[in-house]
Amino acid sequence: MILPLIKGLATTLRYCFSKPITLQYPEEKRTPYPRFRGHPELVINEDGTRRCVACTLCMVVCPSNAIRGIVPAEGPQHEKYPVQFTIDLTRCIFCGFCQEACPKAAIKLNNLYELAQYNKEVLILDIERATQKKPEMRAPDWL
Amino acid sequence: MINLTIDGRAIQAEPGKTILEVARENGIFIPYLCYHPALKPIGSCRICVVEVKPGPPRPLPACATYVAEGQEVVTASPRLTAIRQELMKLVLINHALECPICDKGGECELQELTHALGVPEVDLTAIPATSPPDYESLLVERHTDRCVTCGRCVRLCRDHVGAMAINFMQRGYFTELGSGLLPLDCEFCGSCIDICPVGALINKQFKYRARAWEVTKTEMVCPFCGGGCTYELHLKDGEIMRVYNGETALLCGRGRFGWPVLSSPERLRTPLVRVNGELKEATWEEALTAAAGGLKAVLEEAGPGALYGVGSPRATNEANYLFQKFFRAGLGTNNLDNPARLHYVKALSALGQVFGWPEVKEADGPHPKPPAYTSPFTVKEDTKGSGFTFVLGFLEELPRADAALILGADLTPELPPLGWGVNAARQKDDFKLVVANPRGTKFDRWATVSLRYKPGAERLVVAGLMKALLTAKPDLAPAVPAQGFEEFKESLKKFSLKEYASRAGVEVADLEAAAAILAQAQAPAILFGTELLSQDKGDMNALALADLFLLVGKPGTPGSALYPVADKANTRGVCELGVLPDRLPGLLPLDSPAAPAFWGDKKVAQQPGPTLLEVLDLLEQDAPEAPRALWALGGDLLRWLPNRSRTEKLLGKVKFMVVQDAFRTDTAKLADVVLPVAIHAEQEGSFISSTGRLGVLKAALTADGVLPDWQIICRLASALGVPMSYRNPAQIFAEFARQIPLYAGLAPKKAVGKTGIPAELKGTFVPFDLDISLPGRRPFTLIIGKVLQHSGSYTTHEPCGTLVVTPEGAVSLNPEDAAQLELKAGDKARVISSHGEVEAKVALDPLLPAGVAFLPEHFAQPAAQMLTLNSNLVRVSIQKA
Repeated sequence: MILPLIKGLATTLRYCFSKPITLQYPEEKRTPYPRFRGHPELVINEDGTRRCVACTLCMVVCPSNAIRGIVPAEGPQHEKYPVQFTIDLTRCIFCGFCQEACPKAAIKLNNLYELAQYNKEVLILDIERATQKKPEMRAPDWL
Repeated sequence: MINLTIDGRAIQAEPGKTILEVARENGIFIPYLCYHPALKPIGSCRICVVEVKPGPPRPLPACATYVAEGQEVVTASPRLTAIRQELMKLVLINHALECPICDKGGECELQELTHALGVPEVDLTAIPATSPPDYESLLVERHTDRCVTCGRCVRLCRDHVGAMAINFMQRGYFTELGSGLLPLDCEFCGSCIDICPVGALINKQFKYRARAWEVTKTEMVCPFCGGGCTYELHLKDGEIMRVYNGETALLCGRGRFGWPVLSSPERLRTPLVRVNGELKEATWEEALTAAAGGLKAVLEEAGPGALYGVGSPRATNEANYLFQKFFRAGLGTNNLDNPARLHYVKALSALGQVFGWPEVKEADGPHPKPPAYTSPFTVKEDTKGSGFTFVLGFLEELPRADAALILGADLTPELPPLGWGVNAARQKDDFKLVVANPRGTKFDRWATVSLRYKPGAERLVVAGLMKALLTAKPDLAPAVPAQGFEEFKESLKKFSLKEYASRAGVEVADLEAAAAILAQAQAPAILFGTELLSQDKGDMNALALADLFLLVGKPGTPGSALYPVADKANTRGVCELGVLPDRLPGLLPLDSPAAPAFWGDKKVAQQPGPTLLEVLDLLEQDAPEAPRALWALGGDLLRWLPNRSRTEKLLGKVKFMVVQDAFRTDTAKLADVVLPVAIHAEQEGSFISSTGRLGVLKAALTADGVLPDWQIICRLASALGVPMSYRNPAQIFAEFARQIPLYAGLAPKKAVGKTGIPAELKGTFVPFDLDISLPGRRPFTLIIGKVLQHSGSYTTHEPCGTLVVTPEGAVSLNPEDAAQLELKAGDKARVISSHGEVEAKVALDPLLPAGVAFLPEHFAQPAAQMLTLNSNLVRVSIQKA
């Protein structure tokens, strides 16, 4: 009769002295798994230029029309690059198809997950805001 | 018919077709790369191989193997798949993997083939072949690293366009497409772009602007000349991305690259009204009120005869029909004409004299509710047609001609499709070509006989030809019943053959050789252009050719026909829809019993109005019947009428002038009210091409502030007390098609006179004038004509694509003449005639004979018509400026 109670208290006691499982969010942030799918962003090279060639395949494959408004332009070396690119995070379903479709590994899902906003406008990223800040490629094991 | 089986399916096929053609017709898939339906097969890629029994043990290329009775064809087997995959690997071995940025991505035949054949990966390696892309060429960009050496562009450019600008360079693995390591120097038609299965040849206008799958496609007729080609307009977000012709790939430069002119900053977007002597922008209401007020004042003061109308070959059939309806039904006058009076109408009147005006009897109908742009009449058994429409050629039949005479036309600049037609015809081994022109032209290269006559001597050449024909074959008789033959023969006796030749400046032997070709031909075609019609005696030139055709032509044989050039989009339509002072719609005479049906009870005025040229004379004489007001439905009279300074002075006498145009033309600058119109894909409507084809324009673009011609006419006519109201152009088409049995069976892409109406032809030989004197004593004969990259004046406005090729009008001279005048290419020269002078840059053209100069008519500067009197030929002196 008393035995189960002691057993229970022992468990409690044990957890009192072990490392806590709960994260003190938002003070503490969880590190997502490498294959976590955050929001899509445009990858940059070491020299800060975007890898994107405005082929629009991500726009075609996007099932929720989150990617739109890709306006291509021709550079001095006849390269193709986007001058406009809109990622609408209010529509994004984080499926990762864009990353899969991209022939230039120029769009990838990052590991950011704090997307709650009071203002929807903030979630509609233009080309500057959709571009990652420092060159960073996802681990190649993604596929 | 031949019976064969393909993949076990029993199929009947026409003899002379290839296995690939038959399979495509029956919906059986055979992959191919180097084949294209518009080209002759060469069987080089071998991807279309099929197993054929009975036949050799190895597979055969389906594109180059003809069907035979009892054949058993297998199109898919493990062996074929292995062969095809291996071949694809060889094609892909060095293919640049640029699909993400390649404009062909998404519509690339190589991509589709790779998927269809399931090529897993290319496990072959090779030395990379590196040749840099050609970014230098105008309008076209070449990426040799994407080329699959199928040779489609080579064949198209050589056999159909006739420019021979691209060919294979190097051999074997290193074969590449090139133009001799230089940028392209060609006709810039861009047809190679549309025939290329991959992105090796791309359109600079389209480059990087849209992906192939993003565009919406509208099929419409090309409004840039009277050729009547249909093409696809590719739009994205309401903007034109490109012009595309996937079917035959053939389009000319102005058709393919001319569209940016639509968004020209020079275009009129708001109506203009003259206030205190200056043209000011106004709203549509203000402008229409001002136009109606001005016209009404003139009409009330001087009666309905005081208003003269000038129709437009730029406007649709519907607009032109309404325009003449306003004059005939509303005002009860025939005071209208169109600018084709200067060339095409001369051909019509000559043809009318020789073959009679067109008439169709016993057509079935009118049926109620035909589809849009389709005639309510159909052809039945006892339908009979007569008149010249049935000797006019049909573009699709031109390749079946076995001999052609091109006289007085630099064919490709005048009407590119006719040039392609002749090129297609010359693919036949027995085809013979006679080219007669004072200048050297592209077609001289393929001519069996080239006649280089003196400018203006066309009639003597034709008379000489007929003389030679009748001397060689005295018993030659016309193929159709003809009158006046004996008298006509007498009229030719004025000169001997030798005299004809020496007066025309050609060799007797050449004339005889050309005559022999025409005499032997089973299906001779005669092509002539505005260069000969625009002359003072252009009607006599046309008469001479009509007589020649009556003598040697084989009407009824496909390909044997007369092909006069109607140069602008609707030159033929504006005439056939009755914007003529003496002809009703359908080219009916004013006293035709069918005429009253047009306007209900209103009687058609029996008095023909003055022609456009007579109007100028009336104005000059200050005659009481001279028009006081002018309503011009386009047609920049100052630019197109000869003797510009006279025209300018006389138009100044017109009290009130309303001009509808897309640009602020020189004529519009004289007008009291200018109404901006919709052009190209901003409006719906139909055109009749030079060879009679009905083409339909689609309203795919939004009209930014402008209105289509037919709406303007409806509103202005209603304001003038002639109520007109239509829902759409199709309703207008239905109205006039009900009155014109000549159009029986006509539908989009079908041609007038080629709808299966059996023709009963007869002709009358009409003697023609043989005097070719050109007044004046100045040393050069200047020919004013057309250049390849321009059509009318629209294409001379920025940012038209072809302006990069021909940015300005230059006076062309023979290099020796130029050297004598101490002029170099690019120098400024003064060209002086007795009527005016212009300053123009000099271009050297070795194809011009000595003493002959050429000036294009399209440009505002140099204004070619400053020099002319009444013809496109004028004697000039040329000096250094």
